[in-house]
Amino acid sequence: MTLAASDESGSDNLQQHWLHCMAAVAGQRDKASFMQIYDYFAPRLNSYLHGLGASPALAEELVQESLLSLWRKAHQFNPDKAALSTWLFRIARNLFIDAMRRQPNWLLSELDMEEEIDPHSPSGDSHADGLKVQQAIQQLPMMQAQVVYKSYFEAKSHSEIAEELQIPLGSVKSSLRLAFQKLRVFLGQAEGNPPHGYPDTSSKGEPS
Amino acid sequence: MKTPIRRQNPLALQPNHHPDDATLVSYAAGGLATALSITVACHLAICPRCRQRVSEADALGGHLLSHLPQQSLSAEHRQAMLDALDKPAADEPAAGHRASTAIASKETSAEADDLLPAPLQHLLGERFSDLKWSTLGPGMKQVKMHVGNSNLRLFKIAPGTCMPLHSHGGSELTLVLRGSYSDEIGRFCPGDVADLDPEVEHQPIADRDQDCICLIATDAPLRFRGIVPRLLQPFFGL
Ligand SMILES: [Zn+2]
Repeated sequence: MTLAASDESGSDNLQQHWLHCMAAVAGQRDKASFMQIYDYFAPRLNSYLHGLGASPALAEELVQESLLSLWRKAHQFNPDKAALSTWLFRIARNLFIDAMRRQPNWLLSELDMEEEIDPHSPSGDSHADGLKVQQAIQQLPMMQAQVVYKSYFEAKSHSEIAEELQIPLGSVKSSLRLAFQKLRVFLGQAEGNPPHGYPDTSSKGEPS
Repeated sequence: MKTPIRRQNPLALQPNHHPDDATLVSYAAGGLATALSITVACHLAICPRCRQRVSEADALGGHLLSHLPQQSLSAEHRQAMLDALDKPAADEPAAGHRASTAIASKETSAEADDLLPAPLQHLLGERFSDLKWSTLGPGMKQVKMHVGNSNLRLFKIAPGTCMPLHSHGGSELTLVLRGSYSDEIGRFCPGDVADLDPEVEHQPIADRDQDCICLIATDAPLRFRGIVPRLLQPFFGL
């Protein structure tokens, strides 16, 4: 299973480009820069929301709401704490969950998450190496890739995944745990992790 | 191993037992059943380590999002987006737990100790002292909530009581809110989460100094029907 397109060339340039766009949106309320963000992310957010099970109409509505939120909160965006894609992911996910579950807002908001991070450690994904993340994703064993895919793109629970893949619940958890432990090495090392980013003592060590 | 008894406001504690990475990733991905998400949110409120993990899992989500195949939108959608930029924003409702953090800071520590974790206040009201407990068995009381397709309950266990844990089957998370319990894995104090794989069996016992109050979330409501008899097993010698 391919989780994502393999073309990662120029990913760092793209990150830089978004920073310029966001600065222009926040500073000058620049609509042209905003629409560059729209043109790149709107069709991808649309895919994401469809995958989660939103109807076409709801997906379109939430795409607009997500990007409108970015427009209005642009001054709060801090590139040292999260990449633009992370910020948008949080916004869209939270809007989707609010829309589907009609629950009170118990998820930490995207802003709350960022405020809390230890200022002494490089954190979030601002230092993530997109190419390495992508390579690591492509090297995941099939089972781990499937479990990651079903978690992120279908928002399935561990039990639902276990049932669909006909594997024990414990295997779903260990597959997801192992995949994350491999990927988090490249997702902005924080907490003073050792260079290989291996799990700290509270994680369950398992052979991959 | 002797662990000092901790009596601080739970907000000041650094937990020793955390949710599994798989649980934190699913929280970030939006895949956890609501009851489990609420329980994780209560833990995140006091755990910088897990907030960091969730941030990384969010970053993975952002990475995956930016590599998704495109599903194009109409020209009308683009125009509507442009038009929306000029509209004034409606007032944003304040996030619930910010409001209650503000409340907490104004209160005395005894009053603050009586406050439920913010993510629970939507469901149960603000204070432990206002909870309506129902008796489940000797030494055991509960408050039950249904959230979406999942179950959330508070358990209050008298000091020294054996807690018959009913793992197995669905996903289950236990968060200690007050008091403490011990089992084969260790001692669980306020803020600690037990996130056990389904095959793990253990026998928790509430520590002897005070009532232990736990939040227990499970995503398998059907299996819950059998829980009362099983909970009572130790008392009837079944
Ligand atoms: Zn934690």
